[in-house]
Amino acid sequence: MTIEEPEPTQSSDQWLDSIVDTIPCFSSLLVDLYGDQWWDQAQDVDPERVNTAIVATSFTSTTTTPPDPIASSDPQPFDSSKKRKASNHRVPKASGNRGKNRNRRTNEANEQGVTVKKSVGTKRGSVKSAGNNCNNGNNREGRWAEQLLNPCAVAITAGDQARVQHFLYVLHELASPTGDANYRLAAHGLRALIHHLSSTSSVSGGAINFTSTEPQLFRKSLTGFDMVSPWFIFPNVIANNLILQILSEQDHWSSSTLHIVDIGVSHGVQWPTLIEALSRLPGGSPPLVRLTVVGAEASDHDRSKDIPFAIGPPGYSYTSQLLCFAKSMNINLQINQIDNLPLQNLNAQIINSSPEETLIVCAQFRLHHLNHNSPDDRTEFLRVLRSLNSKGVILSENNMDCSCSNCGDFATSFSRRVEYLWRFLDSTSAAFKRRESDERRVMEGEAATALTNLDEMNEGKEKWCERMRRVGFAGEMFGEDTIDEARALLRRYDSNWEMREEEEDGCLGLWWKGQPVSFCSLWK
Amino acid sequence: MAMVVDQTVAEIESSGYSTTTTTTTAEDEHGCNWNDWSPMVDWDAISGSYDDFHDLLVESITEDNSTAALHPHPHHDPAVAIANMEAEMSGGGEDLKGLRLVHLLMAAAETLTGVNKSHDLARVILFRLKELVSPTNGSNMERLAAHFTDALLGSLQGSGGVHSKHMQNSGSHHHNHNHRDDDYRQTDVVAAFQLLQDMSPYIKFGHFTANQAILEAVAHDRRVHIVDYDIMEGIQWASLMQAFVSRKAGLPAPHLRITAVSRTGSDRRQSIGTVQETGRRLIAFAASIGQPFSFHQCRLDSDETFRPSGLKLVRGEALVFNCMLHLPHFNYRAPESVASFLSGAKVLNPRLVTLVEEERGPTGDDGGGFVTRFMDILHHYSALYDSLEAGFPMQGRARALVERVYLGPRISGSLARLYRSRDGEYCGRCWGEWMGVAGFRPHSVSFANHCQAKLLLGLFNDGYRVEELGNNRLVLGWKCRRLLSASIWTGPPQISDD
Repeated sequence: MTIEEPEPTQSSDQWLDSIVDTIPCFSSLLVDLYGDQWWDQAQDVDPERVNTAIVATSFTSTTTTPPDPIASSDPQPFDSSKKRKASNHRVPKASGNRGKNRNRRTNEANEQGVTVKKSVGTKRGSVKSAGNNCNNGNNREGRWAEQLLNPCAVAITAGDQARVQHFLYVLHELASPTGDANYRLAAHGLRALIHHLSSTSSVSGGAINFTSTEPQLFRKSLTGFDMVSPWFIFPNVIANNLILQILSEQDHWSSSTLHIVDIGVSHGVQWPTLIEALSRLPGGSPPLVRLTVVGAEASDHDRSKDIPFAIGPPGYSYTSQLLCFAKSMNINLQINQIDNLPLQNLNAQIINSSPEETLIVCAQFRLHHLNHNSPDDRTEFLRVLRSLNSKGVILSENNMDCSCSNCGDFATSFSRRVEYLWRFLDSTSAAFKRRESDERRVMEGEAATALTNLDEMNEGKEKWCERMRRVGFAGEMFGEDTIDEARALLRRYDSNWEMREEEEDGCLGLWWKGQPVSFCSLWK
Repeated sequence: MAMVVDQTVAEIESSGYSTTTTTTTAEDEHGCNWNDWSPMVDWDAISGSYDDFHDLLVESITEDNSTAALHPHPHHDPAVAIANMEAEMSGGGEDLKGLRLVHLLMAAAETLTGVNKSHDLARVILFRLKELVSPTNGSNMERLAAHFTDALLGSLQGSGGVHSKHMQNSGSHHHNHNHRDDDYRQTDVVAAFQLLQDMSPYIKFGHFTANQAILEAVAHDRRVHIVDYDIMEGIQWASLMQAFVSRKAGLPAPHLRITAVSRTGSDRRQSIGTVQETGRRLIAFAASIGQPFSFHQCRLDSDETFRPSGLKLVRGEALVFNCMLHLPHFNYRAPESVASFLSGAKVLNPRLVTLVEEERGPTGDDGGGFVTRFMDILHHYSALYDSLEAGFPMQGRARALVERVYLGPRISGSLARLYRSRDGEYCGRCWGEWMGVAGFRPHSVSFANHCQAKLLLGLFNDGYRVEELGNNRLVLGWKCRRLLSASIWTGPPQISDD
């Protein structure tokens, strides 16, 4: 190696500090869910290896050899005093939830006290209180944006131009990319409606989302988001625990290859935690961990085909970083990236699976994009999964009604998408404590692509379970450890989040303000 | 016809009162010289034939922008709608802002009632409006929107809570008292009234049309008794007296007796002085021009019900009931009270009933829904504001006073009543229709009267129009909007005294 590697311990804390600095609101919430050191290691990776890795990302696989003993010892000794210093900023975990909420209420009270000012430029600050008295998800009070968006969609469906224009005018007046969730929803909704009404898709230009984001900011947004919202990390952590659970149930797991097929939207963020956990398994880690990442199909020009959260920015790759991290953890990781493959075409040959390995499929927030109606690609794909003879299929999906064009007219499907986005925006409002940041814009902008997405979208949990059973899967109960850890995880977040165990089908549900958001399930 | 107008021309002195009146000069005029109170029209200046003025009056009237804003144009293609909207949005300017405000106001009204009722959304829209407008700054539509916004906010805030009933009953009045009484003085009221007189034909149109009908109806009577429902400052009768004393053909002025209906509660807020003061002034004025005159009062019951038995009637008098409602400077009168007055008129079988009332837009048989009626009120005041501005574009301060003293409170009162009745019966009604149903007979408006109205409007902006509806009703409008109508009636046929 010609380039000197900086000392990992030092850069580890730098990474932490930089996050704390750039995203101030995270400081009270920083959690050790990741091996802190994996990102910074990757940043300092040998350029030669990066090149190899980038070349290798498509349709090829890269393998790291287990690190030599000297190298592997490098990341281990942390500067404990520094780390503790950083920890001092954190709210003690047990009381973190309550403390945070108190802050939130204070902010709210302050905002409500603000009187209306005549001056221009204060469009939002004064009115925020109007939409913030929503404590119960069933209670639609405080949710005003949808009361303009949904009637506008109804008017569009009915072809009532005068009404459409009326609502567009009003939305135009009230929408704002900042402010409480209602203003944001109005802004995203207005953009989507105009997009729908325009023959050209040029209106969506300038939208902030994953594909329009710098890789650096994209990565920061993803990791930062997991620290403030359980939206993604909750299913991710459960999935990792389920993988460990499946592994522990195998007879010779410590001698056979672990093969994970990742059909997800985590962009690699999910795996460091698993790798770390694998490295700590009391009986030793699997001799080889294969990660087959099935990327989402990216359409070059038409974002309306893209699944929300599935496509990262061009040029973004986490392969090399993850490999480095695995190396530091003494895990023999092999990453196989499969891009531009329609999910339906997946089979045992393409993922190159063998009967000896422990194959686990982890599908998160991707399958709802498959047609469920003439042709029923969704069921067809589940049959493909069944044919893989995996040791387990982990399925996490949004738990919301289908908003495809077969399940309702434009107004119906639009209102369901609006409902989805409302839950997202309302929860990010709490997550970011009303503070604006680039990271927040990226995440919310990406979620908002749900409104312009014209393809299949979402399905209720019951229908998913029924579909799984129909192709021969049987639901598996979660282990106590998994449930406990999920519960512990959720305590770190806003108190409006809630975990619900579904006795019937063994799913774990994530709920926001009494409304379902997503569910996780395990199938064999 | 010419005779009558000539008389008026001869009798009504030109005051030389400048149209560039400011509040200061108006205060100086508070000495109540009746000449200053009389119509400010310089009739000599227009002493040509009617034909000349007819040409003036029928000039084509172009649709103004703000009226167009109230009717968002229909589009056939959504994409076109979007393109137009975006073009309009990027175009900016006053018209666009007016359009935006109309859409916001309409949306706010929609959130207050019906299936889409949402007080959260209402608040958000109204707060946005508050940020956009001020009652004292900006274009007509902006100032108007500010009044409408305040009125809706007041209704909204008064509508919640345990004391909502109480608030609803007295909300608008309290609102007005608290906010208005302190910040305008009696001199302001006088000034605003004079400005309104000078700047628009609204007051004179009602007075002149009624007076002309009275003059014609009692041309050969020796004694005339007028029962006036809302005498206000009494200026209507000053001009009638002048007409009486200067009739040609040697007709002596008849003896005029006026009975002013008075109210128990004090409502001098927007009035100039009390009924007693008005009476004293009229007596003094009558004496100064040699008009035989006596003045009486007839007090309404505490619930403002009119009792015909309270009138002192003298055999041989030509009895006239005069009912001026909704003139821009008038106080609101409850429909029950008006109905009692007109019912009383029916019992006493007067020679003539003169009625002036506000015109409403076509809102359907049931008066339309809340939003329809709301938009109608907006349309109405928008036309009123525009007419004032068109006539006196440079007199922003003067208009501001009129708006603050008269129009603003009128708007909040109208909207508060509308809001209270939003889910119930439509409380506003057309009294002309009511009278027809009640059995009054239409009394033709004379050609002279019609011409006089046209002549009057000719002195103001081209945008004013007068039209005859039925044969007993003259309607004053601004461009395509009808604002005020004067109708003439006689008692029911079965007890006709002829």
